[in-house]
Amino acid sequence: MELQDTLNQVFREVFDNDDINIAPDMTANDIDGWDSLSHVNLIVAVEAKFNIRFSNKELMTFKNVGDLLGCIRAKTTNSHDSL
Amino acid sequence: MIHFKCIMPFNSLKYFLFLPVVYLAFYFVSERARWCVLLTASLLFYASLNLPYLLVVLILVAMTTYGFGIWLYQTTTPKVKLALLWSGIAVNVLILVVMKYLPFLSENLKALFTLFSIDVHVQIINAFAAIGVSFYVFQAISYLLDIYLEKEKPERHFGYFALYLAFFPKLVQGPIERSADLIPQLKTQYKFNYNNMRSGMLLFTWGLFKKVVIADRLGIFTNNVYDNVHSYQGLPLLIATYFYAFQIYMDFSGYTDMAIGSARLFNINLSRNFNSPYLATSVIDFWRRWHITFSRWILDYIFKPLQMQWRNWKHWGTAAALIVTFLISGIWHGASWGFVIWGGLHGLFMACSVIYKPYQQKLHKALGIEKSRLLKVMQIIVTFHLVCFAWIFFRAKGLNDAWYVVTHLLRPVAADARYETSNDYLIQKILMGQPREFFIVLLSLVTTVAVSFVVNRDENNSLSVFWERRSLPVRWGLYVSLVLSIIVFAVYESSTFIYYQF
Repeated sequence: MELQDTLNQVFREVFDNDDINIAPDMTANDIDGWDSLSHVNLIVAVEAKFNIRFSNKELMTFKNVGDLLGCIRAKTTNSHDSL
Repeated sequence: MIHFKCIMPFNSLKYFLFLPVVYLAFYFVSERARWCVLLTASLLFYASLNLPYLLVVLILVAMTTYGFGIWLYQTTTPKVKLALLWSGIAVNVLILVVMKYLPFLSENLKALFTLFSIDVHVQIINAFAAIGVSFYVFQAISYLLDIYLEKEKPERHFGYFALYLAFFPKLVQGPIERSADLIPQLKTQYKFNYNNMRSGMLLFTWGLFKKVVIADRLGIFTNNVYDNVHSYQGLPLLIATYFYAFQIYMDFSGYTDMAIGSARLFNINLSRNFNSPYLATSVIDFWRRWHITFSRWILDYIFKPLQMQWRNWKHWGTAAALIVTFLISGIWHGASWGFVIWGGLHGLFMACSVIYKPYQQKLHKALGIEKSRLLKVMQIIVTFHLVCFAWIFFRAKGLNDAWYVVTHLLRPVAADARYETSNDYLIQKILMGQPREFFIVLLSLVTTVAVSFVVNRDENNSLSVFWERRSLPVRWGLYVSLVLSIIVFAVYESSTFIYYQF
């Protein structure tokens, strides 16, 4: 849940809207201003926040917020393991 | 540009006979043989172009993509998988380049050598007609990428796979379909559906009306002017440019309606390709409404990967990705500098908007006009003119002609003797000599615009759903007037669809 809250904060900052409450099954259609042009801002902000880097293949397969969450979770746990 | 005679376009008597015969064969054979009927019909349709090598190209693309798809799926090593993906794409791109771009490359290479006075013999290659190739190659590439990204599983039945690429309603001019949308529909058991039959025939007739009554009639004017632009300046160039914008829209969306209508007879729903593009409020919005299946393709498979690759450059990365994507889109339309500039202009318009959009939004907010209707109308008008400006390069016969149009568009109609006769001729032809022609153009344009407005306001945004809900007398009144107006007002010179050449 903590991860989702942090991600929600990123969403609110990127889309400049404090009413956003993300859920795993949400897609770009559910959030105002989330189009293919602003998507890149979101990805850059997420990468900076969690200090991770997505691969091309990962970036092309995100369908909804849940996919994004899953990928962040996998990457952050991995980096903790390696510490 | 290559001109060729197409034996069986959708607006020909042959196709009007072909379609019902295919349907009857499809209806009467057993379910298991139905794909055979559709595949045979599709190959016959393609063969009717009288260009036997195209059938070979289609079969080659189908076989290699089918094989690579299964191979890609069965491989587990990431590196080998990536190599397979790139090889599959390379084969497809190579076929496209050989079919479409060798003449252009050889010509420009020769010009380059001549420029630097290098004496190398470059063989000039004559252009092939590559009708349909760029459409099924795109579908083949998206199929491989979707398997690589594990969005789809490969199709094991070669018959259905070949039919996915070759299905005749969308073979030569799209819509560009994804395998996940089309293959399951092809495999669904056929049951006669009265509504599909009715709406399919209606869409087909509506498309025919757009093509033969409006697009072809507008074509008489635009061809007159654009085939020898140097005889005109000012108003005629302006009118012809506006007319061309409507001609290409009516031609291409009319074709698409006929394609969707034909497919619907077999209970196949093809994807929507147009959504009132000239009501777009920005060039980005235009591409969400114009040739939608194509723009979705270039967005997903070219723009997004590039944008992500360059994401550290922020807005500038997105802008650069837009320009590169739309330059490629221009080249896809054909190997000529006019198309390259057309694509480049669209890319440039959108790149500029990405950079200045944040400031524009602030400005609109400061002025308190961000939700005003007037602003929206202004945006529609500006977008339409930007799109029209780019069409000049798309339509003109070469860069010299295009540049001439751009520089002479806004000049007053000259009293100069050189222009006098032709300008008079055009104005006479439009306004006085043939008022009937001009009147029909105007009336049918107004009718179609009104119809799309009414349908657009409806929540379903679909002509056939809108039509179904009318009462019986109204429906039949409309059917009869649609068919009558086609018979009375059609332009009976044989003409092909503009997008055949791509």
